[in-house]
Amino acid sequence: MSRPGFVLEVDERTPPLLVHRGEGFGVHRFPLGTRVVYPPDSLPPLSNLRAEIRHALQNPLGSEPLSELLRPGMRLTVAFDDVSLPLPPMKTPDVRQLVLEEVLELAARRGVEDVELVVANSLHRRMTAKEIERAVGERVFRSFWPERLRNFDAEDPEGLAYVGKTDKGEDVEISKRAAESDLLVYVNINLVAMDGGHKSVPVGLGSYRSLRHHHNVHTMLNSRSYMDPPSSALHGSATRMGRLLADHLRIFTVETTLNNETFPREFGFLNRREWEWSLRDQAGYLAAKRANDAAPSRIRRQVFRRIRAPYGVTGVHAGETEAVHERTLANVHRQQKVEVNGQADILVVGLPYISPYNVNSIMNPILAMCLGLGYFFNMYLGRPLVRPGGAMILFHPVPWEFHTVHHPSYVDFFEEVLAETTDPAQIESKFEQQYATDPWYTHLYRTSHAYHGVHPFYMWYWGAHAMDHLGDVIFVGGDRRSVRRMGFRAASTFADALEMAGERVGSSPTITYLHSPPLALAEVR
Amino acid sequence: MASLLDEVREVARGWRWGRRPLVPRSAEPFAPPSEPREFPTEWARSPVGRAARAAIQRLVLRPLVWSETDPRVHGLDHLEGLRGPVVFVANHSSHLDAPLILCSLPERWRRRTAVGAAADYFFDVWWRAAGTALVFNAFPVERSGGRRLSDTPWRLLREGWSIVVFPEGTRSRDGWVGRFRPGAAMLCAEAGVPAVPMAIRGSFAAMPRGRGWPVPGRYPISVRYGAPVVPEPGESAGAFMRRLTDAVARLWDEDHHDWWAAQVRAARGRTPPPAGPAGPRWLRVWEASRPLPRRRARPRVWS
Repeated sequence: MSRPGFVLEVDERTPPLLVHRGEGFGVHRFPLGTRVVYPPDSLPPLSNLRAEIRHALQNPLGSEPLSELLRPGMRLTVAFDDVSLPLPPMKTPDVRQLVLEEVLELAARRGVEDVELVVANSLHRRMTAKEIERAVGERVFRSFWPERLRNFDAEDPEGLAYVGKTDKGEDVEISKRAAESDLLVYVNINLVAMDGGHKSVPVGLGSYRSLRHHHNVHTMLNSRSYMDPPSSALHGSATRMGRLLADHLRIFTVETTLNNETFPREFGFLNRREWEWSLRDQAGYLAAKRANDAAPSRIRRQVFRRIRAPYGVTGVHAGETEAVHERTLANVHRQQKVEVNGQADILVVGLPYISPYNVNSIMNPILAMCLGLGYFFNMYLGRPLVRPGGAMILFHPVPWEFHTVHHPSYVDFFEEVLAETTDPAQIESKFEQQYATDPWYTHLYRTSHAYHGVHPFYMWYWGAHAMDHLGDVIFVGGDRRSVRRMGFRAASTFADALEMAGERVGSSPTITYLHSPPLALAEVR
Repeated sequence: MASLLDEVREVARGWRWGRRPLVPRSAEPFAPPSEPREFPTEWARSPVGRAARAAIQRLVLRPLVWSETDPRVHGLDHLEGLRGPVVFVANHSSHLDAPLILCSLPERWRRRTAVGAAADYFFDVWWRAAGTALVFNAFPVERSGGRRLSDTPWRLLREGWSIVVFPEGTRSRDGWVGRFRPGAAMLCAEAGVPAVPMAIRGSFAAMPRGRGWPVPGRYPISVRYGAPVVPEPGESAGAFMRRLTDAVARLWDEDHHDWWAAQVRAARGRTPPPAGPAGPRWLRVWEASRPLPRRRARPRVWS
């Protein structure tokens, strides 16, 4: 049995603790008494994954077996999660490939001919052919690309279908192909508790017209947290949309969960608790750190981009969306949940090199903010890890650097919008519409590999709850100009950051360090 | 940027290269508290142990105590005709008390008497435990509570060994008699053996708590044995403990004044408790530190 999650209290015996710093890492001494939240050890993976997938498809929850839903002459659409999952990308074969192969095998045997595969990329950038091939496998790619395997285009007026309004007046508009199919099979990877469920179809295949109802400041401020679906207004809205869709369309959901084997063997020390580091881990750390620090940034980035996670699959469930997602969430909790007593004055987080929106790309300042104040801050159930008015210290260099192909609207958002205001509500009311409908951004989204024009706004809203909750945000080692542009503060060292945070939270604060990744979801009591 | 040497040093220091690795306390795996194994003392009651102890007590301990202090022993007649085992119950204010009792007992009692000694004090390291067991025929007594009660005293009584117990549990801090704990009474009541009450006066003045050697000047000490107190059938440990406390108080009164006056006060229920004078601690220590009157010089027959 894997060891459960654990909260360490730093004492004089505690070795320095590993902290991620973007495309780098280091060890730091933490003040005595600091609480360190470690996720549970990695769960054992399913031993015969293909058999488990077949079993899930034939014994679904709240639905007939998939084979019984398939018939000749029907219109079948299979949608799957995009490049934002999992993080880092997993070693091949990707679990999406295995599920897709089983689904398509059944479809072929049942005589289904009209089959299309859609990447549920929503307003994310289109995946490249190479990325898609990696996710679906060579056999599927060769059979379906490019006519019957494509990225979803949320700005194609011909490719969208308006389904209706929820009882709260939320527009539901999704992919026309999916909406008009006899069966939509959705294949998901549920890395964190936010993913999956009714968030898959209405969001992954939804248009801006639909997304704006839940991707807004008001909803994000009322999602406490969005890693806790029952307490999340975001998920409330997605659920209403999902139920409306379920009335119009037969959806068969396949959800998979992963364990915490986040880093490959050569970076094994990143997966382990520091006091359990063997001599080999210590040597590995020293060698990797020195090589990384000495390497030119281009090489360093390439090395990090090549990291492939040896994730194991801990569960496959299929059937009716809500019944499936209940099991999925239980699996995610089993792997990530840690009980933590009480809130701290200061929350410390080391931001890794990757977030959902910079796979094979650059983590620009807005994405660094989103990863810290959006994702890691929200990795809680119950109450945030830090008290209201507390401080958050993040380790990241926050370079003023953007991927001009992937994030064109981010550049303008950073230069133009944030130069004027950092208040999410003001940004939303004054600028969102302009960026969301800008023809150039739309063109780049549809024809290049750019995130949608509105995407940087969503990233900013993603951090709205944390900005509202926190009294101070300090980036250790952050580029002063870019940190200041976002309205935060930069510190040269951890000691300086603690000193600065002390101005707001007092001179002897309680500190919690969220030691992640591997991912931990704190249940704060 | 830190140099390679700095980083190696940091890792070497953090992970204690060349030394035993440590686990943070909060990360140590839970282990149910184990019952500490009682220090074995049977060997000290073997024929060899007994012979060695007899020699040490006779040739070293008694001459040493009797040369450094001036003990006066009274009431040994109460042991005449008494068959062991018994539990000797005495007040406790000095490290001299156990040697005084053992060395004042008649030979036949001494060689079959064991002493209960604080496990946390006398049995904390092996060499002190071994020395205490050999010289005093001591066995460890847990006084901190919370641990399983040792069955050693019951076993020793069953095997015919008499036992010395100090029911206060520790040496008096001010020289006066403190509250008796019920353990000794419970032992007598359950084992059905008589208790021999004892009062030791003057040992606090001769060698108080904190001293490792008696005060110079051969301070007088009185060791007074009382009549055995036998637990009655059905008598509770609490009731028997109160009788024992009264018996020790009477002996204290007898030693302080005289036998007759103590008897009269006891008959009227007015035996003064040996708890010392009321007042600040310094006053109580002051009074307890007052040496007992020295023996009067013998009248000179020849002048």
